[in-house]
Amino acid sequence: MEARYGFEKKFRDQVLRCSSCGFCRAVCPVFGATLRPSYNARGKMLVLKEVMDGTIELNDELIETLFQCTICASCEKNCPSGVNVPEIIRQVRKDMVHIGSCHPAFRGMNEVLQKHTNIYAEEEPEDFERERNKKAECVYFIGCVGSYREDEATLSILALLDRLKVDYTLIDEVCCSGVLEDMGYPINKGLAQRNIDLILATGAQTVITGCPYCSRTFNNKSQYAELKAKRIRVLHITQFLKDFEFGVKTDKLVTYHDPCDLGRHCEIYEEPREIIRKIAPNFVEMPHSRVDALCCGAGGGVRGAYPKNSIAMARRRLEEVEEVGAEVMLTECNSCLHNFSNAKLRKQNFKIYNITQFINELMEEVE
Amino acid sequence: MKEKTKTALIDIVHEENYTDSLIDMVSYSKDASEHKHRPDAAVWATTTEQISAILKLANREKLPVTARGAGTSLAGLTVPQKGGLILDLCRMNKIIKISIEDRLAVVQPGVVYATLEQTLAPHGFFFPPDPASGVVSTLGGNVACNAGGIKGAKYGTTKDYVLALEVVLADGRVLHTGSRCMKSVSGYDLTKLFVGSEGTLGVITEITLKINPKPPLSRTTMATFDDLEDAGRAVSQIMYSGILPSALEIVDQQTLIGINQNTDLNLPEVEAILVAETDGHTSEETDFQLAKIIDIFKKNNASTVRQADSEEEAEALWTARKSAYAVMSRINNNLFVEDLSVPMSKVAEMLKSISDIATKYDLKIPTVGHAGDGNLHPTISFDGTNPDEVKRVEEASAALFKRVIELGGTLTGEHGIGLAKAGFMCMEHDEVTMNVMRAIKKLFDPNNILNPGKMALEV
Repeated sequence: MEARYGFEKKFRDQVLRCSSCGFCRAVCPVFGATLRPSYNARGKMLVLKEVMDGTIELNDELIETLFQCTICASCEKNCPSGVNVPEIIRQVRKDMVHIGSCHPAFRGMNEVLQKHTNIYAEEEPEDFERERNKKAECVYFIGCVGSYREDEATLSILALLDRLKVDYTLIDEVCCSGVLEDMGYPINKGLAQRNIDLILATGAQTVITGCPYCSRTFNNKSQYAELKAKRIRVLHITQFLKDFEFGVKTDKLVTYHDPCDLGRHCEIYEEPREIIRKIAPNFVEMPHSRVDALCCGAGGGVRGAYPKNSIAMARRRLEEVEEVGAEVMLTECNSCLHNFSNAKLRKQNFKIYNITQFINELMEEVE
Repeated sequence: MKEKTKTALIDIVHEENYTDSLIDMVSYSKDASEHKHRPDAAVWATTTEQISAILKLANREKLPVTARGAGTSLAGLTVPQKGGLILDLCRMNKIIKISIEDRLAVVQPGVVYATLEQTLAPHGFFFPPDPASGVVSTLGGNVACNAGGIKGAKYGTTKDYVLALEVVLADGRVLHTGSRCMKSVSGYDLTKLFVGSEGTLGVITEITLKINPKPPLSRTTMATFDDLEDAGRAVSQIMYSGILPSALEIVDQQTLIGINQNTDLNLPEVEAILVAETDGHTSEETDFQLAKIIDIFKKNNASTVRQADSEEEAEALWTARKSAYAVMSRINNNLFVEDLSVPMSKVAEMLKSISDIATKYDLKIPTVGHAGDGNLHPTISFDGTNPDEVKRVEEASAALFKRVIELGGTLTGEHGIGLAKAGFMCMEHDEVTMNVMRAIKKLFDPNNILNPGKMALEV
């Protein structure tokens, strides 16, 4: 039978290779929160096998499972057959968008990014009381969540960069638009070019991002190839800060949540821990950490499209913070921070910060 | 599903716990075997009362009901071959009680094996039968299928640990078997009847398991053998030496070649590798046992013998055995994992027969197995879209079953009969045995609603 969809052409062998062992149940955050087998990777692959066999159609009936995936890559990392589920899901979403079967929230996000410069369709950017677009060694790229939802975390990170005397500038940034690829749409080239031009105009050789997804997009997507060609290095803030000394310490019991985009997708596990070791000798890992870390539930468009399950996923993670008795949970991703803050129950009396935010607070205390 | 039946089911479990959505029907159509059939609907039940009401209704309507845990069966045990209703028990996942004083755990059927392990660990206890799928498999599934694992030789399988059960019968009555005592010979052993019954006699809703103190120390050794028969003899000698290894696993040459072709592990392509583990409370105890095993390896011409001095080194020695499934499942699109068991003295002979059958049918049949209890997993990785290859795979499977019976073995050591081996039941069991099994099925489930189509119970 001739392949009708892009996913068949690109990933037929991968889909067939899923042996239906079901081991993905142990790690899939959507399954973990719902205990509904059609949502985990095996359920998705079985549906796609039937689409390839022609026994079912790719249509709106399948949105519920194929668009309900945070693309956290836990299944891929634990798959005995090595099936690259995140890439298959991205491609299937493209195919579904192409035939007009798309979750309305995903379609809405694409429409927003055709008309606006950020995922929230906000018109007035926060200026963070700093001059923009000046000449500097580094550009600090905030990202949408840091710009419009977690502005306190952003103010902290900027204050920290000031304290550390980093020569940086902000730019009139727009959404990197990498997230569109998770939603089944192409990256918005116009937005990408605006970011590239603004970065180049500063003369900076380094772009530091607060958001791990922006960092991934700049480093890996062809629309941002010009940055690499001009030898501009893009670093996540944890990579940038790992050799700094902060001169502060806390006695509190601290744990760390690996964001999927930083951990499983970029394999950056050590740098954040190196930083934490310097400031929090009293450190404890959660039962699931590094490559096995539970997803916060925000990624892949799930926070917007399936908010109830997204929060349920975050709650599962926060239960692990309680389990190890940590007083502080650190992470370094505004998306994770935002979802966890929304999910945290009043009775849970630990604090949640980005690492940078926490260090800045410690430095403020000693001043 | 009739509208009236659907309404009645929703009345029992509420709307949000009933589904006939396409995505759910497709996901419940398969387990880890190659079998496939969609149900008509599924429910997530959470109480014994709900399950009793569901079965009463199903019995009246003659609606097939297939109970399901994590759906990791390698033999089609949870595939709803006759359609009907999937009774998904994974949300019935409470650990009801852990009693260290009484050395038991009381659990609901949807508790995942690994969750019980994690809960017992701080007490220094464990539930020894450790199926390879333990990170996802549910205890209800483990009991219904009598799951085994690599510790079988020393610690037995699930059946050795089930003390009592609560079971909903096909007509909705609730049966309580066994007791919470370590010893009980009060009446027929109804508990054992349900262990391994593959969901054909009732739906297990509560399980009382015996738990064991976990020996804190273990040692691991690995030996290579240029001659398969030497490895087989070493296995036999270990098992009558007085030493009881906590694991004794074999990996054959085809597996080693397969792993080398698909990874950069560079394993020695010898005829067989044996990996043994000893456990105990003192290092004298584990070292003493290990030394005996190493001595037997050497006496039987092992070409190399290594022992691990740390946990990391032990992990390295386990690499060949533990990576086998992952490698085999990547080689091709379809996978048959067979599950033959032979008396321990016949392990080498059976391995030789597997190799001969592979040659005859022009297939590769890599085999790993629990040598310590005679349970072997010949694994056939094949292309299901190639009809000629499929035919040869089916013929080779039949030849394997015939041979295993000739050697006094059994079709399945731990995966169960289900659909995959239903056609071979009469090869192993004579007419009297089959008649008794069918009579038992009829007694418990006269309308044949529970997991119908399995185990050759229908004449």
